[in-house]
Amino acid sequence: MAAVLLRNTTGGIRCLTKGPAFISTTTTISFSHGFGLLTKLRRSHSTTISQDLLNKKVQVYQSTSKDPYLNLSIEHHLLQHSHPDSYVLFLYINDPCVVIGRNQNPWLEVNLPALQEAEDIKLVRRRSGGGTVFHDHGNVNWSVICPPAVFDRDRHAEMVVRALKDLGVTTAKVNERHDIVIAGDGRGNGKDIFKVSGSAYKLTRLRSLHHGTCLLNSPRLKNIGKFLRSPGEPYIKARGVESVRSPIRNVDVDTEEFTKGVVDEFCAMYEEQCGEDVKLKRVGEEDVKNMDNIRKGMDELMSIPWIYGQTPQFTFSSRPTEDDPRERPPLDLEVQSDFNIQFTLRHGEIQTANVSGLKYEGRAIDGDFYDGVVSQTLAKGSEDDSAVKLYEIKDWATILKSATTGQAFKVSDPSLNSISEWLNKVFPGNHFR
Amino acid sequence: MASIARCLRIARPSVVSAFAQSAVRIARPFSVTANNELRKYTREHEWIELSDDKKTGYVGISSYAAKALGDVVFVELPEEGKEVHAGDALGAVESVKSAADINAPVSCKVIASNLTLEESPSTINKVPEDHSASGGWVAKVQVTDQGIADLEKLMDEEAYKEFTAAEDH
Repeated sequence: MAAVLLRNTTGGIRCLTKGPAFISTTTTISFSHGFGLLTKLRRSHSTTISQDLLNKKVQVYQSTSKDPYLNLSIEHHLLQHSHPDSYVLFLYINDPCVVIGRNQNPWLEVNLPALQEAEDIKLVRRRSGGGTVFHDHGNVNWSVICPPAVFDRDRHAEMVVRALKDLGVTTAKVNERHDIVIAGDGRGNGKDIFKVSGSAYKLTRLRSLHHGTCLLNSPRLKNIGKFLRSPGEPYIKARGVESVRSPIRNVDVDTEEFTKGVVDEFCAMYEEQCGEDVKLKRVGEEDVKNMDNIRKGMDELMSIPWIYGQTPQFTFSSRPTEDDPRERPPLDLEVQSDFNIQFTLRHGEIQTANVSGLKYEGRAIDGDFYDGVVSQTLAKGSEDDSAVKLYEIKDWATILKSATTGQAFKVSDPSLNSISEWLNKVFPGNHFR
Repeated sequence: MASIARCLRIARPSVVSAFAQSAVRIARPFSVTANNELRKYTREHEWIELSDDKKTGYVGISSYAAKALGDVVFVELPEEGKEVHAGDALGAVESVKSAADINAPVSCKVIASNLTLEESPSTINKVPEDHSASGGWVAKVQVTDQGIADLEKLMDEEAYKEFTAAEDH
C-alpha cells in the first residue's frame, strides 16, 4: 500500500494511504485549538496493528486488555516497529500487579509472600529501567515513543502535567527525579508533597520510550506499601537498581477523563506533525493474537528466567559482613549461637553457600563438619551438579533435608522447621506470576 | 546511545554529576593515545579500537556518551560468544531510570566482557574510553570480515570531535 504524502497549506504533512483500504470505521479525534474534549470515539475494527498504522507520523493506541504482560508486549512491539520518525502514544490499564524494573531484584524489592497470599496480584519485570511500582485499575499507564532527536526525560511528563492541570489538579508538577508530584490534594489544600506518577525509559538506537504511571483512584492505596516491603531486605545486598521510596496518594480523577486529557495534550503537542487526522486505535487480545512478535514478547515476559533469572548478582547473609555491615534484626531460631547463613546468587541461583550453627542429630555430632557438608551441597546443588535455583524451591525444609541425604546425621527437626519457616518467607519460590 | 546524548544539551545541571564532568577532563591514559588511527567512533557514541592484530579489539562508549548518561548504576554485559551485526544491541547501561542499549560499532563476536563493570558500574563514567584492565571498556571482540568493512563507515577521532561539537549546538 503506497503512502501518499500531501503538504497542506501550513507546511505540515498529512499522510493518506492509497490502494485497498482496510474495511474499518476508524476512530477520528477532532479537537479544537482550545484543547477541547474528544468527540465521538468510533471503534476501529482492523484486526492487526498494521505496518501502515505504524508508519503514520502520529499514532495513538489504547489497550482494551488489562493483562500486564500483553500490554507491555504491545508497547514493546510499538517501540520496535513504529516508524523511526513517528510519535506514538499508548495508554493502558493493568490488573493488579507489582512491576519491577529491568535490573532489579524481586527478593529485595517485593513482599513475595504477601503477593502469594493475595493470589490475584501478578509479578512483572518490565524492559525499562527504574524502580518498583504497583498497578491496578485505579492507575493509568501512559507511554510515549519518539525519535531520539527529541528525547527529553521531562517533556512528556510535562504533557501529562498539563492534562492534570486541565482537570483541576492545579499543583501538579514534574520534580527533579522526573516523577509527577502534587501538593496536598492537588487542588490547593495542603502542602505535603505526594508522588502520583513515576517514570521509566527504554532507549534503543532508533527510538526512545518514556512510560509512566498515574495513580488516579486506586482502592489499594493503603496496601501498596505492604507489597513493596520485602522480608528479605535486611539480609540482601544487591547489585542492580534499588527503588527510591516516596509518599503517594491518589489524584482522584476518573480514568476515562484522564485518558482523554492525555490524548488531547499529545495531539496538541504534535499538531504540526499530524495535521488533523489522528485515529485512536483500540487494541486488545483479539487484535494481537495472530501477531507472532507480540506473542513471543509475552512468552518472554511471563517466563521464570526473565522474571526471576534476570536478577543481577546479590548476597544474602544473616549476619553483618564487610560488604554489608548493616545490623540485622534478631532472629528467633532453633540454632547454635554461631548461626550464620550466607549465599551469593547469580541469576537467582546459589553460587556460594556458607552455613554454620545448625543443630543436628545423629551419631558423633560434629557441627562444623556437618555445616561444611550442608554448605557444599547447597552450593553444588543436586546430583546433577546444577545450582539451587531460588525460584524453584517450594519448601526449604526439603532442600535442607536433601542436603544431608545419605549422611549419618541430619538437621534436627526443630532446627530444620524454624530455619525453613524463615527462609520460606525470604525466598518463597515462584508459586505465582 | 544517540538519544542519551541529546539530553546533554538540555540537561539540568543536577542531572549530569560533577563527577562525570570531571572524568572528561582527566588526561587520557598513555595506552589509549598510542594507537589513535585504529580508534573509530559511531554516530551513536560507541567506540572500537582494533588491536595490532587487526582482528580483535575493544568496544565501549565514548566520554561524550558517558557524560550525557549521568551516573551509571548498572551495566548489562554481553555474553561471551555472542555474535552481532553492526548496530545490534551489545549490552545496555542503566542511568537515571533509563535502560539504554549499547550498540555494536561493527559486525563482531564477543570474546570477553569487562567484569569490572559488574562490580563497579561507575568505572564506565570515570574511564569510558580506557581499554586497560581497570578501564571502562565494555567488551573485547573479534571482528568479522564484514566488520572490517563496517569500520570504513565510522568516524576517526578528529571527525568524531567535530561531530560532537556540532551536536552540542
